[in-house]
Amino acid sequence: MSLTESCRNELRTAISQLNGRCLYSAAKWAAEQLVGIKQDPAKYTPSNTRFQRGSSSICRRFRTNEISSTLVAGVSYVSTPVMEEDEVVDSDFYLLAKSYFDCREYRRAAHVLRDQTGKKSVFLRCYALYLAGEKRKEEEMIELEGPLGKSDAVNRELISLERELSTLRKNGTMDPFILYLYGLVLKDKGSENLARIVLVESVNSYPWNWNSWLELQSLCTTIDILNSINLNNHWMKDFFLASTYQELRMHNEALTKYEYLQGTFGFSNYLQAQIAKAQYSLREFEQVEVVFEELLRNDPYRVEDMDMYSNVLYAKECFSALSYLAHRVFTTDKYRPESCCIIGNYYSLKGQHEKSVVYFRRALKLNKNYLSAWTLMGHEYVEMKNTPAAIDAYRRAVDINPCDYRAWYGLGQAYEMMHMPFYALHYFRKSVFLQPNDSRLWIAMAQCYETEQLHMLEEAIKCYRRAANCNDSEAIALNQLAKLHHALGRDEEAAFYYKKDLERMEAEEREGPNMVEALIFLATHCRAHNRFEDAEVYCTRLLDYTGPEKETAKSMLRGMRMAQSSFPAMDVEHFPP
Amino acid sequence: MAGILKPPGAFAVTPHKVSVCILIQMYAPPAMMSVPFPFSSVAQHNRFGLYLFALTKSCDDIMEPKLDELINQLREIGDVLYQWLTDQLISRLSSLSSPDDLFNLFSDLRAILGGADLSAVDDEQVVLDPNSNLGMFVRRCLLAFNLLCFEGVCHLLTSIGIYCKEALSSCSAYELPCLDDSSNELEALSEYENMDLENIVFEKVNKEIEARKKASEEVSFHLHAPKALFGLVEDIKVSAVSKSQGGDKCREASPSAHAPNDAMREFDSISGAFLRTNWQMQGYLMEQADAIEKHGSSFSLNAFELILRQLQKLAPELHRVHFLRYLNSLYHDDYFAALENLHRYFDYSAGTEGFDFAQPSIGCNSFGRYEIALLCLGMMHFHFGHPKQALDVLTEAVCLSQQHSNDTCLAYTLAAISNLLSEIGISTTTGILGSSYSPITSIGTTLSVQQQLFVLLKESFRRAESLKLKRLVAANHLAMAKFDLTHVQRPLLSFGPKTAMRLRTCPTNVCKELRLASHLISDFVSESSTMTTDGAFSTSWLKNLQKPMGSLVLTQENVSGKDSNAFQFCAQPSSIPGSVLQLVGSSYLLRATAWEAYGSAPLTRVNTLIYATCFSDGSSLSDVALAHMKLIQHLAVFKGYKEAFSALKIAEEKFLSVSKSRILLLKLQLLHERSLHRGHLKLAQKVCDELGVMASSVTGVDMDLKTEASLRHARTLLAANQFSEAAAVAHSLFCMCYKFNLQVENASVLLLLAEIHKKSGNAVLGIPYALASLSFCQLLNLDLLKASATLTLAELWLSFGPNHAKMASNLIQQALPLILGHGGLELRARAFIAEAKCLLSDPSFSVSQNPEAVLDPLRQASEELQVLEYHELAAEAFYLIAIVSDKLGRLAEREEAAALFKEHVLALENENRQDEVDPLPSTP
Repeated sequence: MSLTESCRNELRTAISQLNGRCLYSAAKWAAEQLVGIKQDPAKYTPSNTRFQRGSSSICRRFRTNEISSTLVAGVSYVSTPVMEEDEVVDSDFYLLAKSYFDCREYRRAAHVLRDQTGKKSVFLRCYALYLAGEKRKEEEMIELEGPLGKSDAVNRELISLERELSTLRKNGTMDPFILYLYGLVLKDKGSENLARIVLVESVNSYPWNWNSWLELQSLCTTIDILNSINLNNHWMKDFFLASTYQELRMHNEALTKYEYLQGTFGFSNYLQAQIAKAQYSLREFEQVEVVFEELLRNDPYRVEDMDMYSNVLYAKECFSALSYLAHRVFTTDKYRPESCCIIGNYYSLKGQHEKSVVYFRRALKLNKNYLSAWTLMGHEYVEMKNTPAAIDAYRRAVDINPCDYRAWYGLGQAYEMMHMPFYALHYFRKSVFLQPNDSRLWIAMAQCYETEQLHMLEEAIKCYRRAANCNDSEAIALNQLAKLHHALGRDEEAAFYYKKDLERMEAEEREGPNMVEALIFLATHCRAHNRFEDAEVYCTRLLDYTGPEKETAKSMLRGMRMAQSSFPAMDVEHFPP
Repeated sequence: MAGILKPPGAFAVTPHKVSVCILIQMYAPPAMMSVPFPFSSVAQHNRFGLYLFALTKSCDDIMEPKLDELINQLREIGDVLYQWLTDQLISRLSSLSSPDDLFNLFSDLRAILGGADLSAVDDEQVVLDPNSNLGMFVRRCLLAFNLLCFEGVCHLLTSIGIYCKEALSSCSAYELPCLDDSSNELEALSEYENMDLENIVFEKVNKEIEARKKASEEVSFHLHAPKALFGLVEDIKVSAVSKSQGGDKCREASPSAHAPNDAMREFDSISGAFLRTNWQMQGYLMEQADAIEKHGSSFSLNAFELILRQLQKLAPELHRVHFLRYLNSLYHDDYFAALENLHRYFDYSAGTEGFDFAQPSIGCNSFGRYEIALLCLGMMHFHFGHPKQALDVLTEAVCLSQQHSNDTCLAYTLAAISNLLSEIGISTTTGILGSSYSPITSIGTTLSVQQQLFVLLKESFRRAESLKLKRLVAANHLAMAKFDLTHVQRPLLSFGPKTAMRLRTCPTNVCKELRLASHLISDFVSESSTMTTDGAFSTSWLKNLQKPMGSLVLTQENVSGKDSNAFQFCAQPSSIPGSVLQLVGSSYLLRATAWEAYGSAPLTRVNTLIYATCFSDGSSLSDVALAHMKLIQHLAVFKGYKEAFSALKIAEEKFLSVSKSRILLLKLQLLHERSLHRGHLKLAQKVCDELGVMASSVTGVDMDLKTEASLRHARTLLAANQFSEAAAVAHSLFCMCYKFNLQVENASVLLLLAEIHKKSGNAVLGIPYALASLSFCQLLNLDLLKASATLTLAELWLSFGPNHAKMASNLIQQALPLILGHGGLELRARAFIAEAKCLLSDPSFSVSQNPEAVLDPLRQASEELQVLEYHELAAEAFYLIAIVSDKLGRLAEREEAAALFKEHVLALENENRQDEVDPLPSTP
């Protein structure tokens, strides 16, 4: 049996087991991967091809290096035996409890299972209790909201659950699902180290529970922690690693992993969306757009991750596409934070910032920790010139995730707008620290240093140099470097940067005032240093432009020709031609 | 701001507030005669009212008290009434078993409020004025209850149940007399819940799982039971468990002795605890801020940080918490945490968050008030010794305040800048404020730092006065006094008509400014806010209640007496705001410093003593330490080292961890002086090096420490007879002082140079230095230093030989009155010896005719030098005595003096021998 085939079998079993335990989102994920597995060309059925037709084209378009290898090649995976169910036939009570559970009557379900001792029943009972507690917590959060913000709603089941589960663990009567639940409870209670151990145990013995991996991922906040955990080499680990790399902002590593996984799960929507996410972080908008178009064609009612697509459309100013997307998610499910965010983006693109704020607020009401909505709302407030509100919004984003460099950058910009460059520097420093390879951040910081109030030109030069080194797409840095050096009287350096800027503009075939400026400076500089040939070249190039520079170039050329002729320059002045 | 949250300042009904309402109902029952039933006297009734008032206002904690605490306090209040009051309270609380009971309670409550027309009411009847403090409280409770949704009422009911139950379960020690009574009520409650609550609460941990199962089992048979009640069971378990855990955690985290209030309890359980009103919390935070500032680094970092963290969790929209965290980390020298919290506070609040009763719209609301953020950031950088950053930020603050026309902030910013300029040394003359601030640029940028400082001070003062910021005006007076003390005023314009100016400092100006600063104490009354006084009063009143002396009151007759006592006792400390006290206190401290500079030891001592006795509780510990330092220095100079060291020991104990550097500095100074006198030079050098290390390495920061260290270094070298090295150090010090405009220090450096030349036998070179020092002293009115410079000059003349003895003698006679009146032991001894030497070298003076004229000063000098253990000079004095006695033929005296001479010389050699092992390093 090939590895692809075994993957498929494993997933099929896992889906029914996960469904049997009411772990629906994990089952959903597994099922998505199941249909995402590439078919053997020999035996695919028409129904399969219909589902996968769309994806194949994108595979062709972006698989440049054509990873032909599937998971088989090179890597030896641990084969984890599929778990045997201890109860072949569910008891009647279990069936009743599961039905209650499916109707979201969690406490009822837990109550039905009160005397059952089978592992499956114990799991479902505890899980139901946990969910009941979560539900109650959510309700209380709104009921008990104090005058100064959130009060102390907690999941009241955690304590008793933890006690029960720890006894079970001591007795050694835990299956991987109960372990997962135990990890969840421990994490909520704040004992993260133990939670990590428990979750690792759970995924090592039953790797197909994606929920378990996700919890583990949320506990791996640094690369060191990630490296320190000891995971079996199952193919699910690759999914986990890729996703965790992405969280740790190691986008290139994540992308490699995902592309590798695509060798087997070539038609997985999940994988496509994740690849798009990684590419979005690498700011490759073109590719992201294509991926999302495909994704929507295959899965038109998808809402998750679509907010990112809307960001791309926003950045590319595709009005109609964005409105189309907004309409589609609106009809699919209007009360999803992503939907609100997409609509907010649309209004923002239309310049109707008040309306856009309304929708971002709605998104935040649905999910208070929705990071990008806070940041985007900050942007809107900046547009509306309501800086205090913008600062507040950005700060909330930063407090939710201190690694969000966009929000730090937004804070810096807001303060810069208020003419507080020194104060703003603090925030730019933070954002630059988190994203040292983004030229925009360095340029913003340099501009701060350059302001009239601070006038710290040396520091500004350092920042511009960093910006120039990290592939400044808008080509501001080189020009500014040249200008600053010129202003400080360092003509050699200025010439160096002007020349570099010129080369760059030539390479990108751009024209503009910068070009003229560079040419003029270089021409004067070369003439001053008696490099007449070079000066002549620059002057000749200037002749292609209209305006006063053309005249200057002409007169310079004339002057140089005179000087080069045998007459001393002095005399020529007296006899103009 | 951008948050999707309710406006702050809302008022929530909590179990504690319900019990206060019930107590108020007992205080003023509807339709009763002048003194309602259980109270036997008006005084008792009033005392109870006062207690209720304090309950609604006190700011000693962030959490509302639990029922058992309330009961304890009630016990303190009314000894006899205690049982009746608690019975009533508990029975009424526990009779609340359904939402309807709550509705009834609050509609009854309405009846105790009087109508708007009070004149119609019969005099004898007790009616609560709706506009009184208690009346307002009741009205707010009523309003908040009316606004509650049904879920809210259910929650309130649940939490009242927990509130009672916690008290009852923990009160087995209290022996509540009403236990059987209330348990009936509780039975009713538990009947309603259909489960055995007590059982679950007291279940041992290992049995809890079974109990859980049982509970869930029982619920299933009564599915109609409201969810809230089911939640109650869970509630109690949560709190019971987390109580023990939280307690452990806290004990680990805060080992320090100082735990503001009972931090332990704060961390018990979050569930069931309610925050006090916003007003009380703000008051609490303000009090804590004062405490942090007062105690500095001795304020416990961790315990308070824990409270703040909890507060932040419970009230994320109370942004002032971030500011307190900033203060806390600032005073514990945690730069990064301070920076982070400062930025966070201003990001959230935009500088506009205040109390809920203050209108937030002062100034320009739409812009926020970020100039305050800049001001704070600048002061923070200043605190951490980053003068350049501080100046940059404050400059930005000036721009922004002007832009937003926030004059108050501008005045404060200018004051901060002038404070900065006067504290740090800046050598450049231009570009301090750049082109940003017009008063400077209008005069021209060629001003020296001192002139700029002067302009800034004047400007800040003018603004403060026009804005009626009394504290700032006072602080500006002080700053001005400081400036006048050490700077000679020069005309600001370098051209145009010049008024005749005396190029001297002006002590009368200093005196005037100091007096004006002290006027603040009579001015403040008009601006003190009720907020601080009410809250502080209530807090201290309640605290006083908790002291054991509260229980001393036994009879009712004494109650009234004690009541008024407590009232006066507690009201007094809060009658003058702390900030005013602090300012007035620092004016006394500055007075002491001024007298120190002008050279009057007794006046210095008197002013320092006034400060230490009258203002020490109001002011920060580091200032108090400074006062102690001055007093101990005084002791060392006038009474010798033995007394000074014993005083130092006391001070060290008093300021155990506080302002360590200041006491440490004093210790090093004393050690250095003593080892110099004893001739233990190696130790002196070591101490001196340690002193130098205490200064920050940034240029311009800690200038006084740096000058002192190198001055002492030069003196050590001088004592070791390494003249050229000493002169080199003194020269470089002079250059530094000149660069940073430290005129006073320059005078003493010049004097030191004169001493060096004198000791090296180069008297001709020494005289110009001594004269220069004299003229500096004259310029700056440094009388004592001038006297000592005169003395040095006399000694220099004397070393030229007997021809100049007359000249020297004249000089000494000039200086002698001041030296005898104000000089320390060493100076006096030197003067005596010099006087004797003058006489001895005077050819017209004959010893045998007037022996006492020589012997008397010499004896005095020797006594004083013995106290100081100044071996070298003492030996010289005894040597002279021995010679004179020999001349006079007084053999016994001669022998005695010779023996003492030998003793001192031996002691000196003994010390020197230790040093000879390795000679002093010339320069560090």
